[in-house]
Amino acid sequence: MTSKPENKQPENCGLSRRDFVKIGAITGSAAAFLGGMPGFSRIMSVRAQEVEGEQAYPLADPANQIYTVCLQCNTGCGIKVKLLDGIAAKIDGNPFHPMTMYPHIPYETPVSELGTVEGAICPKGQAGLQSVYDPYRLVSVLKRKPGTPRGGGQWETISFEQAITEVVEGGDLFGEGRVPGLRESYALTDADIAKQMAAAIKAIQNERDADARQALITDFQATFADHLDALIDPDIPDFGPRNNQFVFAWGRLKDARKDLIARFLSAYGTTNAHGHTTVCQGSLYFTGKAMSEQFTDGSWKGGVKFYWQGDIGNSEFVIFVGASPFEGNYGPPLRSPRITTNMLNRGLRFAVVDPRFSKTAAKAWRWVPARPGTEGALALSLIRWVIDNERYNVPYLSAANRAAASANGDPTWTEASWLVKLDDEGNPSKFSRASEIGLREPEERPLSTNPENTYLFDYFVALVNGEPTAVDPYATEPENAVRGDLLVDNLQLGDFTVKSGLQIIADSARQHTLEEWAEICGIGVDDIEALAFEFTNHGHKAVADIHRGVSQHTNGFYNVYAWYTLNALIGNYDRAGGLIKATTYKADGSKAGQPFKISTSNGTMAPFGTSIIRHNEKYDKHTLFRRDGYPARRNWYPLSSDIYQEIIPSIGDAYPYAVKALMFYMGSPVYSLPAGNTNIPILSDPQRLPLFIAIDAFIGETSMFADYIFPDTMYLERWEFHGSHPSVAPKIQPVRNPAIAPLVPEVTVFGQPMPLSLEAVLLGIAERLELPGFGTGGYGDLGDFKHPDALYIKMVANLAFGEREDGSDSVPDADAEELRIFSEARRHLPASVYSAERWQTIAGDLWPKVVYVLNRGGRFQSYARGYKEGEVPEQSANYFGFDPTIASNPFGTMVNIYQEKTWDTKSAMTGDHLYGYARYLPGPFDVTGQPLNDEADGYDLRLITHREIMQTKSRTSSNYWLLALLPENSVVMNTVDAETRGLQDGDLVRIVSPSNPNGEWDLMNGNTVPIIGRVKVTEGIRPGVISFALGFGHWAYGGVDVSINGQTIPGDQRRIRGFHANAVMRVDPYLQNTTLVDPVGGSAVFYDTFVRVVKV
Amino acid sequence: MSDKETVKQEADLTRRNFLKGLMGAAGAATALAAYETLVNNPEGLLAQEDVASPGTVTALSSADDGQVDILERMRAELSQALQKPVADRRWVMVIDLRKCVGCHACTIGCVAENKLPPGVVYRPVLEEEWGTYPNVGRRFIPRPCMQCDNPPCTPVCPVNATFKNAEGIVEVDYDQCIGCRACLTACPYGARTSDFGLTYTEGLPVADGLIAGRLNAEGYERAANFEYGEARARQGRESPIGNARKCHFCLHRIHVGELPACVTTCIGRATLFGDANDPDSLVSEMIAQPNMMRLKEELGTSPRVYYLV
Amino acid sequence: MITAKRVLYVLGIVALILGLYGFYSRLFIGERDVNYGSYVTWGLWVAMYLFFAGIASGSFVIATLEYLFEIPLFKGTGKLALWAAMVTLPAALISIGMDLGHLERIWKVYLQPNPTSLLAQMVWGYTLFGGVILLSLWLVARHGHRSTFAVKALMMVGFVMAIFVSGGVGALLGVNASRAIWHVGLLPAQFPIFSLATGVALMLTIISFFGTMEDAIRVRLQRVLSIGMIVLLLVKTYLLWSDFSMSLYSGVPQNVDAINAVMYGDYWWSFWILQIVLGTILPIIVLIMPNWSKNRLLAGLTGIVILVGFAAARANIVFPALSIPELEGMAEAFSGPHLNFDYFPSLMEWSLTIGVVGLATLAYLIGIDRLPFLKQTPSEVTQ
Ligand SMILES: Nc1nc2c(c(=O)[nH]1)N[C@H]1C(S)=C(S)[C@@H](COP(=O)(O)OP(=O)(O)OC[C@H]3O[C@@H](n4cnc5c(=O)[nH]c(N)nc54)[C@H](O)[C@@H]3O)O[C@H]1N2
Ligand SMILES: Nc1nc2c(c(=O)[nH]1)N[C@H]1C(S)=C(S)[C@@H](COP(=O)(O)OP(=O)(O)OC[C@H]3O[C@@H](n4cnc5c(=O)[nH]c(N)nc54)[C@H](O)[C@@H]3O)O[C@H]1N2
Ligand code: SF4
Ligand code: SF4
Ligand code: SF4
Ligand code: SF4
Ligand code: SF4
Ligand SMILES: [Mo]
Repeated sequence: MTSKPENKQPENCGLSRRDFVKIGAITGSAAAFLGGMPGFSRIMSVRAQEVEGEQAYPLADPANQIYTVCLQCNTGCGIKVKLLDGIAAKIDGNPFHPMTMYPHIPYETPVSELGTVEGAICPKGQAGLQSVYDPYRLVSVLKRKPGTPRGGGQWETISFEQAITEVVEGGDLFGEGRVPGLRESYALTDADIAKQMAAAIKAIQNERDADARQALITDFQATFADHLDALIDPDIPDFGPRNNQFVFAWGRLKDARKDLIARFLSAYGTTNAHGHTTVCQGSLYFTGKAMSEQFTDGSWKGGVKFYWQGDIGNSEFVIFVGASPFEGNYGPPLRSPRITTNMLNRGLRFAVVDPRFSKTAAKAWRWVPARPGTEGALALSLIRWVIDNERYNVPYLSAANRAAASANGDPTWTEASWLVKLDDEGNPSKFSRASEIGLREPEERPLSTNPENTYLFDYFVALVNGEPTAVDPYATEPENAVRGDLLVDNLQLGDFTVKSGLQIIADSARQHTLEEWAEICGIGVDDIEALAFEFTNHGHKAVADIHRGVSQHTNGFYNVYAWYTLNALIGNYDRAGGLIKATTYKADGSKAGQPFKISTSNGTMAPFGTSIIRHNEKYDKHTLFRRDGYPARRNWYPLSSDIYQEIIPSIGDAYPYAVKALMFYMGSPVYSLPAGNTNIPILSDPQRLPLFIAIDAFIGETSMFADYIFPDTMYLERWEFHGSHPSVAPKIQPVRNPAIAPLVPEVTVFGQPMPLSLEAVLLGIAERLELPGFGTGGYGDLGDFKHPDALYIKMVANLAFGEREDGSDSVPDADAEELRIFSEARRHLPASVYSAERWQTIAGDLWPKVVYVLNRGGRFQSYARGYKEGEVPEQSANYFGFDPTIASNPFGTMVNIYQEKTWDTKSAMTGDHLYGYARYLPGPFDVTGQPLNDEADGYDLRLITHREIMQTKSRTSSNYWLLALLPENSVVMNTVDAETRGLQDGDLVRIVSPSNPNGEWDLMNGNTVPIIGRVKVTEGIRPGVISFALGFGHWAYGGVDVSINGQTIPGDQRRIRGFHANAVMRVDPYLQNTTLVDPVGGSAVFYDTFVRVVKV
Repeated sequence: MSDKETVKQEADLTRRNFLKGLMGAAGAATALAAYETLVNNPEGLLAQEDVASPGTVTALSSADDGQVDILERMRAELSQALQKPVADRRWVMVIDLRKCVGCHACTIGCVAENKLPPGVVYRPVLEEEWGTYPNVGRRFIPRPCMQCDNPPCTPVCPVNATFKNAEGIVEVDYDQCIGCRACLTACPYGARTSDFGLTYTEGLPVADGLIAGRLNAEGYERAANFEYGEARARQGRESPIGNARKCHFCLHRIHVGELPACVTTCIGRATLFGDANDPDSLVSEMIAQPNMMRLKEELGTSPRVYYLV
Repeated sequence: MITAKRVLYVLGIVALILGLYGFYSRLFIGERDVNYGSYVTWGLWVAMYLFFAGIASGSFVIATLEYLFEIPLFKGTGKLALWAAMVTLPAALISIGMDLGHLERIWKVYLQPNPTSLLAQMVWGYTLFGGVILLSLWLVARHGHRSTFAVKALMMVGFVMAIFVSGGVGALLGVNASRAIWHVGLLPAQFPIFSLATGVALMLTIISFFGTMEDAIRVRLQRVLSIGMIVLLLVKTYLLWSDFSMSLYSGVPQNVDAINAVMYGDYWWSFWILQIVLGTILPIIVLIMPNWSKNRLLAGLTGIVILVGFAAARANIVFPALSIPELEGMAEAFSGPHLNFDYFPSLMEWSLTIGVVGLATLAYLIGIDRLPFLKQTPSEVTQ
């Protein structure tokens, strides 16, 4: 089709001088010479068309721009989509969004003035058009052709209605016997019974005595006799109802869609809702969670799954560890300008700890290619140097509670001075309590959740100038400030030997001398000294910024813990230039005054029972433990969740119970997981997994094994609230909203037309199962839930309203011009997606504010509001330079550098207590803690993986523009390693490992995909280590032929070049069907495999 | 400056003489009008100052200490430069290699902006590695067209299809170009590529109803681009297919007050753009740095792209 | 040598048929399937353009031996040479025309030219040169073999033009200041010598195969042409040596790379085997031997082999200079069709080139068989 947009700017419609000349030349020459010239008339017509098309630049017209959010990688930079006749013609950065401009522009700027203002995005963001406009996108529901095996590549299209019917009702769907539908697992439907059962199970689990416990179970069976058939196993009621046999899992998920899924799953009543965190940077999140637990109502709880990153725009010194902000991370558009601008204008220096000479390292003051897996050792060596040289922040660390911290001007504090009791073997265990040493009696205090009731608060203890002193961590009155002594070693206190928190850390750091640490890390002592000196030479404006290279190891949790502990030594939490955290505006209606509480419904059930991945639950409390003892058949994860690598293998092992149906949304564990190939035999086997449904825009590396694939709207066509990232100081909430008409067709659910998408699938199933919370009156008083807009527009309205009850932080109303731009920019959207009338009805009075928010692609606090001047401390710091600027959306509470709760958790494999402090655990080890000896067995290279900026996992291999930058990845190898193996640049090698001696992916459909790549010889990687970039070596995703309705759709070879070595990553020898894991933080392990390369 | 003027005037003269010749023979009214326009505006046969200037703007920032993103500073400066007569502007690009993170966003931003087909690229980013482990260096060098003030590419063109315009930007007149690639050969920087008529999506399956298919998915690639201020969709064998193509400093964006696409999407903020005739502009400031250099200066090309090392 | 002619007819027809695909693809699809591109901007067709254009000028110069310088021995060879020029010049122009992205705009070079562009000058030059050849042929056809004043004057003009255009194509490359290997003063100067050499080589073949003159005269002609050929080959080798050694000693990396690419690169064989062994050494050996050089078949084939060698030499001037990136890292920075520095002509390029060779061969043969004035009459032979 030809695009000839009309002229939008009348002042430019006159012919330019240039055209006059052209016309002149043409008509003149025509008459004079060229009348008879062959082809002349064609030339003539080209000219005419061009003159007619002469115009200003329509892409700069605000009415041709929609502000939304990128999802080419998970960073979620704000973008503006520039439209030409309804087609997304160009994508650029949304300048309101702090990830694309530094500092971003004021929120109040009228959009009419922003036609020519755009922020910076990365090449993937620029190439997003090629993801959305991918010819291989699915546009109808695919069903595995009956009689053909999973993964066989034979599909049939079926109608949406038919697909929903089959999925819900089950039946002999594939000629292989009866397949249970979702209705079958929707067993327990009574919310009250569910609640009672959950309470009864809790009581059973809290009973430690075996007999008493059995009695409780017998009671349970009697009480719920009428409902026992709704349970997975009445003898192990802990498992919960059969509803749990429906598992819903996802790869990429953000708020709004997450809220929809949560609503759906809680209505259905399954506890199995699992994300992909552990394949990503799991242990960062779960160490963050452990470090953020607060002592509330008498126990440690409320830890949030989150992590900190450096506020590097204000730092003077940064150590990036296993993080590459110029290539991956969260994300290059956000972090690069902060680093480069700061480097040049304000003298920022940074070091990079990475075995690979990344693009980030290319700009570093110092590249420290420490041995993979020794990140924790390096952190501890720095900690040792800092403590030995007394270069830590004494005022910060000695503040034992909020009152003392406030006096320093610090929003946070730690347990550095708290006293910890040692167990019989001299190991740190629980905090000392004031009542235990007769210092102070416990106090009765009101419960935070229910002030009517009380609990007993026992004070913690610190030494103040040698005197034991009771500590209330959260005391605010200046007179209750406690500044404790920092290094207290083996003090006898009553019946107990105690140490201070910092002493425990010092002991852990002094496990080795600097020379030994350097040896372990494979670097020089001078590296350690230089890093430690610089780190402690910039006050709060230094930070260690860590990412996947730290967390995705078998010792990931403790590596992360060590680095965060190092940060605590200089007290940089919540400080400008130090560690900060993400903050987002709430849009779910949970803030007082917000008009739409979206969790409101006409009655839902609170799911309960053990999850298939056994998270948030202690093994030793579970009835299974009584049966199996130690070691458990598979690990349990009381401190983490979203254990991606556990979902499918646990289904495969039916541990702890069998699963009937798995629905996978926008994730591809087979491709993305280390040893993801272990998922293939399970997914391929209907005996172990009776029904496998994928919601995926493509036939991908995982969805290729599904029974049904439901297509989806892609990121330029849909809603999501993308949220923020830890290194963004201002509070934001970017809103992904439809910018183009969906390529998928419309379907009808609840009588409403809507695009064939995740929303349609969930609403469709809800309609069919008549789940509460959907359809007529689905939102109770807030109305029906028949179209996704009923959720999304409500959320935008909440966001526009703000977080203050009186509405004083509402956004302004859109004026007439803004309303015009809003509707004109959406003139190409179909009514099933955008209807001003429908939206306005939902939003009510807040409509002009909703428009204001959507015109800006979300809500963004100003750069200035991200920081504030903190209190000036009453006593000045030692040599720590003092800058009072702090994050104005602070973490603002206690940072656990000693974790009682973690200590109090036992490994399900060994029954041992976990360490409650930063410690170096030499890896790699298996899930039971046994070290692996692959290196000794002749696997002489350590395999790691990295990102190139131009690719992500399963979303960009279709981006031909990006493939022009890098058509395939390579085996990155040091010159020395290449020479000793007789390899040259460009040679092909196969990578093999102990758990994949053939070096291949076995797709179990008769095809194998070799893991063969071209060697790239470089000086820029540590000898003994090889790396490969993510995103290549696909074997589905439009790259191979598939058959739909008997028609062969040829694949495009460009999309599957290069190789993907995840399948050689080490399988855990105990688990057998799963990658190596970090048993505490839950991380899937990417960097601990030893391999060999074989020339082919 | 004077170099530039000469180059341009030469181009003008030949055209003008040619037109005069036409006039006598044809006497067509339109041609006369064109000639009139031409004669009355001696400075600009090909100048494009007829594009309305969008007015000056101030830089936007939500920081309160005067900190602005240099993108905003440069946009404000651009709006000021546009107030000046065409010949008084001196567009230059400064690429700070210390800040270039090798992200290639500029390359792809440019491809997307100008709808460049396979095999056509205006601004690749070259990479260099040196040293021995562990003392290794790595550098990234973006390479747009240098908009040479003494361009070797223009005099070789047999039909004046490529020329330095009044603003100092080396243009290609797609409808004039015969596609001989002499200019490609002459450019010492490899800054020109030819459009051989390919598309990225061609050959992909249509399979209507089964998958989205090529016909529903190629619109972005077929949509018009706006190079040189003309909406032009690539189709058939029409220009720019068959032509030499090159970076034009995003003239079409500059003229509406928008920075070049590679500048606005530079995540390292390494690429600066502006009017070097404005002594207060960021580019003027940076050009004056001692660590400034230009590529292959020894060839006498006088590049308008400056590098900071 | 009836058989040689027959063989050539058959080869010509086969070549033309093989060329159909190339012509079809180029004219109806465009330049998509060529392997030259944006980095190696000029490929086989440009080399063939240089080659054919060189033969045309060389042949014209040979024609002047009869018509301008009136060397008795060359009596009767002039029109054969002129006709050779007449068929090779269009072959050159077709080759280069196919290389244009917008051939249909070629008129612009005449009507809207840039006079300072060598390319434009060449188009004008070749147009005029073509006119001169045509006119010369016409005059010769009218006046038989007698050199009138008009013929002489025309020959004079043509002689100068032949030198100009063949030097000019050299300059076309030479002006590219950044291509160090081309940018040497000697390059344009070499081209007329190359042209003459190819003219002589072609003439050797023509006389040997089709010369209808008395055997004694033909043998003397073959001998004279052979000696000339040897001299030209030696001069050419000398120039090559001076070029290469200058480049290698100066040590300019681009130069050295280009020379290395020629001698040791992917197409070493084209240099060593085609250009040096087949195109130079072997011919010198054959031609130096009086008996061999007088042998019709041997001399004729040697002429062809020399031509092949020169075609390779043209290619070896064009491609390697272009296969050295202007800036390091360009090949890796962005990949795509037509963005390679390694060049080997595509099937379609070969096809079209073979077609053009076939076309020229057939045109030549048909000319000497069918055009009355080219058919040599026995009277002429006896004269
Ligand atoms: N070798 C190696 N492997 C890695 C990593 C690494 O560094 N190296 N990194 C890991 C990390 S950090 C992560 S986060 C994981 C990510 O792993 P996953 O969360 O599994 O994500 P993707 O692989 O991106 O899976 C995307 C799936 O969603 C589908 N899809 C794409 N767009 C849409 C859409 O709009 N809607 C729907 N419904 N589906 C869509 C795709 O077809 C694909 O099947 O990968 C990990 N894998
Ligand atoms: N281009 C691109 N950007 C992305 C994504 C993407 O897919 N592509 N995905 C996004 C997502 S989901 C995530 S989680 C982030 C991840 O962002 P990052 O964690 O920053 O990226 P990675 O490439 O996984 O790893 C960072 C660095 O760790 C190094 N490394 C590998 N092994 C080790 C080791 O053992 N020790 C140390 N110290 N370093 C090691 C690698 O060489 C790499 O340079 O990126 C996000 N941004
Ligand atoms: S980093 Fe790039 S791909 Fe990721 S969200 Fe931002 S612009 Fe998109
Ligand atoms: S860089 Fe090349 S294309 Fe650009 S002006 Fe200079 S010579 Fe011409
Ligand atoms: S390719 Fe076009 S612009 Fe370049 S020299 Fe030839 S005609 Fe001129
Ligand atoms: S200025 Fe424009 S045309 Fe030139 S490289 Fe940048 S984006 Fe491309
Ligand atoms: S966008 Fe900027 S930082 Fe990225 S490669 Fe281009 S110039 Fe360098
Ligand atoms: Mo991730």
